[in-house]
Amino acid sequence: MIEIDHLTKRYGATTVVDDVSFQVEEGTITVVVGTSGAGKSTLLRMINRLVEPTAGRVLIDGEDTRSIPEDELRHRIGYVIQGYGLFPHRTVAANIATVPRLLGWDRKKIAQRVEELLDLFQLDPAEFAQKFPHELSGGQQQRVGVARALAARPALLLMDEPFGALDAVIRSKAQDDLLAIQRRLGTTIVLVTHDMNEAFHLGDRIAVMDQARLLQHATPAELLMHPADEFVERLVGTAERPFRLLTLTKVQDALEPGSAEGEPITASESLHDALSRLMWSGRKALPVADASGAIIGKVSVGGILGHGRPLP
Amino acid sequence: MKVASVLRLTAVVLLVLFIAMPQAFAFLFEPLTDNRAPAIYNQGSLLFLTLQHLRTVALATLASTVLAVALGIFVTRPSGAEFLPLSRSLVNIGQTFPPIAVLAIAVPLVGFGEKPTFIALFLYGLLPIFENTLTGLTQVSPQTLEAARGMGMNARQRLFQVELPLAFPVILAGIRLSVIISLGTATIGSTVAAKGLGEVIIAGLQSNNIAFVLQGGLVVALLAILIHDGLGLIERFAARKLGRSTDEVP
Amino acid sequence: MLPPRPAFSLDRLGSVIAILIGIALFAAPFATYRATRIASGEARLLIEALPISMGAVVAAVALGVAVGSVLVREPLGRLGLAVIGLAILLPSLGLSAGFLTPAGNSFARVSPSLGFWLLALSFSLLAIDAFARMKLDPYGRLAALAAGVSALAFLLVSGIWDDLSILKEYHTRADSFWREARQHLLLAFGSMAAACLVGIPLGIAGHRMRTLRTAVLQGLSIVQTIPSIALFGLLMAPLGAIAASVPLAAALGIRGIGATPAFIALFLYALLPIVANTIAGLNQVPAAVVDAARGMGMSARQRLMQIEMPLALPVILAGIRIVLVQNLGLATVAALIGGGGFGSFVFQGIGQTAIDLVLLGAIPTVGLSFAASIILDSLVDIAKGALA
Ligand SMILES: Nc1ncnc2c1ncn2[C@@H]1O[C@H](COP(=O)(O)OP(=O)(O)OP(=O)(O)O)[C@@H](O)[C@H]1O
Ligand SMILES: [Mg+2]
Repeated sequence: MIEIDHLTKRYGATTVVDDVSFQVEEGTITVVVGTSGAGKSTLLRMINRLVEPTAGRVLIDGEDTRSIPEDELRHRIGYVIQGYGLFPHRTVAANIATVPRLLGWDRKKIAQRVEELLDLFQLDPAEFAQKFPHELSGGQQQRVGVARALAARPALLLMDEPFGALDAVIRSKAQDDLLAIQRRLGTTIVLVTHDMNEAFHLGDRIAVMDQARLLQHATPAELLMHPADEFVERLVGTAERPFRLLTLTKVQDALEPGSAEGEPITASESLHDALSRLMWSGRKALPVADASGAIIGKVSVGGILGHGRPLP
Repeated sequence: MKVASVLRLTAVVLLVLFIAMPQAFAFLFEPLTDNRAPAIYNQGSLLFLTLQHLRTVALATLASTVLAVALGIFVTRPSGAEFLPLSRSLVNIGQTFPPIAVLAIAVPLVGFGEKPTFIALFLYGLLPIFENTLTGLTQVSPQTLEAARGMGMNARQRLFQVELPLAFPVILAGIRLSVIISLGTATIGSTVAAKGLGEVIIAGLQSNNIAFVLQGGLVVALLAILIHDGLGLIERFAARKLGRSTDEVP
Repeated sequence: MLPPRPAFSLDRLGSVIAILIGIALFAAPFATYRATRIASGEARLLIEALPISMGAVVAAVALGVAVGSVLVREPLGRLGLAVIGLAILLPSLGLSAGFLTPAGNSFARVSPSLGFWLLALSFSLLAIDAFARMKLDPYGRLAALAAGVSALAFLLVSGIWDDLSILKEYHTRADSFWREARQHLLLAFGSMAAACLVGIPLGIAGHRMRTLRTAVLQGLSIVQTIPSIALFGLLMAPLGAIAASVPLAAALGIRGIGATPAFIALFLYALLPIVANTIAGLNQVPAAVVDAARGMGMSARQRLMQIEMPLALPVILAGIRIVLVQNLGLATVAALIGGGGFGSFVFQGIGQTAIDLVLLGAIPTVGLSFAASIILDSLVDIAKGALA
């Protein structure tokens, strides 16, 4: 667990991060959102001490980060930035091997780990291991950047706008991939973005920052239904609210008994997907299947609409 | 590319042949002499002079490289940052000094011979290497450095594993410039009695023997062009390995 | 955790300068006395080199500057310190020369020694650092240059320095000094002008024609790598042949030796920066601007003269700056083949081991290059400013 405890950063007279506290549970993704200049990056960089806090502390599994030598701390925390900062003079394999090499792993173990990661990120080792960063597409560079950050199996991964440089199509694919890998490895992630959709898509919890302060730290649903103040409400987007809520809810939760015509939808998909299928096909209801394909009920327009507003 | 390689090879072969057995080319230079003056330099071995010339340049360049790179590293570290603006200006001012002036001023201080030449080559050679080391180290993208820091590289590891390798092609370009200037200054060094190829030209000027002047000029010119070209190949190879920086991706 | 920054810290550069001043004052001779022009020198410490009161003033001012350079960080304050230091140091050198030269002895020579040079270096470093940090605008830099030149001219004209060895050297050959100066400037500026006349049109053509561009740039860069004295040598043979076989050429002053090969060599060296910068300057003119001009119905010629060339001017000027500094330096080598210029004094001085004579040739060369680089850098900035 990561505890951020009254963190404050001042540069001269200006306070850039103002008394921020929240906790990040093991194996979850916390997304920090906010307008430009809100202090998101500074907050993130205080966690791996690229920026020294003026006040407050960060605890990782109860251990104060100040008691760990800086470099050692950073070996244990993965870090991905916008643009990735891949080393242009090193091959993909050597880039990924950076931290293991700093840690003095033996060659074989490093080679194995690199191959494992390339596989995990769907980059064919035979093709990509010996390429240089400038020979990769933006999406491939991004994957190498994340693979490099995960190389030494860090307990925590910090990501500062990791998808900022990707186009919309690749970006959503990269987000899905990250989510899948995170679920598989159980990595704890703190991710900074100013894209609300990304926040709702990825975040188990969302921390909203504005003008150095933490306005709200809550689950996405809470954020939608009980925004802490006007700023959060505006940021969440009043018009988008019902649709976001539907994105967060599974078909499972609106399951009704009975049957319906048409192609069945899986129970683990979101109500947003279900509604969009219904509207496109012009039907009033769809059959719902479980993971094995067996029909377990139906989902209807009326049932879905009931989930698009806050519970009383 | 093919043509360039053939030209390069021909030039190397011709140069080596001429230096090793200049007498075989005497017929080419005879028309330029009068009063039965010798057509080929006869006061010393061309081979020896060439090696001596190259040795002076190599030693001086080595010394300048070590010092200039060290200084370049120093002024780009936080502890040396106070010296950065001054050192930039000094390099600019230093380059307004003609190498011959440095050479001439060194003579009264250390006497004739290799020493003043070496000092002039060393001092003047510092400038381009230092300048390029600065350029190379300061142009490393802040993102790359941020990533290196974020992965827990300490200052030393960042310098040796990231900054210097990335600055390498630029530093190499500085060394090349320095070598070329040094080749020329070492030629003038013969006016202060340093052993080198300038001797042939100076001897020709003193005895009014155009043949000497021409062969000396040819050897020096060819040597400079070939070295410039060779170092350029190494540089391009190093730069190609780096390719375009990833951080330029929008 | 970073260690907390101390509230008060010594300036490192200032400390280095203070140490240099310390060495200059206490461990190095201030002036060198020689019984004759080429006799070996005897060192004179500051207390021996000046009347005791004057020596004390110089020492006190230098120490003051040393302390100030450690404590004062504002550029303007540092510049002030440097100016005060130089204002005391430079005239004191002349006084020292008068003081050390026995009355009526016209053979004795006094020249500055390590201590003086170190003091001058320290004060100059202080001034250069101050200028580097002040980031003066081009007019400011030109004004500073003008002030420096005037101060120097005053020192030379007033006669304060007349007892110095180098000025004695000058007075015995004032005529040839100005003749060589003229020759030097003629070589440097003449070859530059010729290179502009040829290089700028060549650059314009190269900008349009890709094949011409690569061929010209490659050829010129090969020429640039040839050491000056070798290029002089290579030009001597064909020029000599022309002079021998074409009487008209000989009558025009074209010869294998002397100023002609030097002029041609300087011209050839000058071409690369001018052609390359003309091409680069034209290349960086935004395509949209040229397009707009075409859309307004400007002819190719109007576009070139009214749009492209003015926009390329700063880059072309930067090329001219490179050429001028390079030519002023290279022109010294021309003396080796009888081309004249300040190099004559340098090479004569080397031959006679007379450092004053070497300096008589070297100092004006360096001064000219230095002034030329400041003036042209300022012009480049002014041209850029006019476009911004
Ligand atoms: N080293 C520094 N010195 C002074 N001010 C700083 C420094 N670093 C950041 N700041 C200021 O702190 C504020 C917050 O910066 P930060 O980079 O954390 O914002 P951000 O939320 O990440 O913004 P963005 O979305 O644009 O990346 C900004 O106003 C910035 O100018
Ligand atoms: Mg940021």
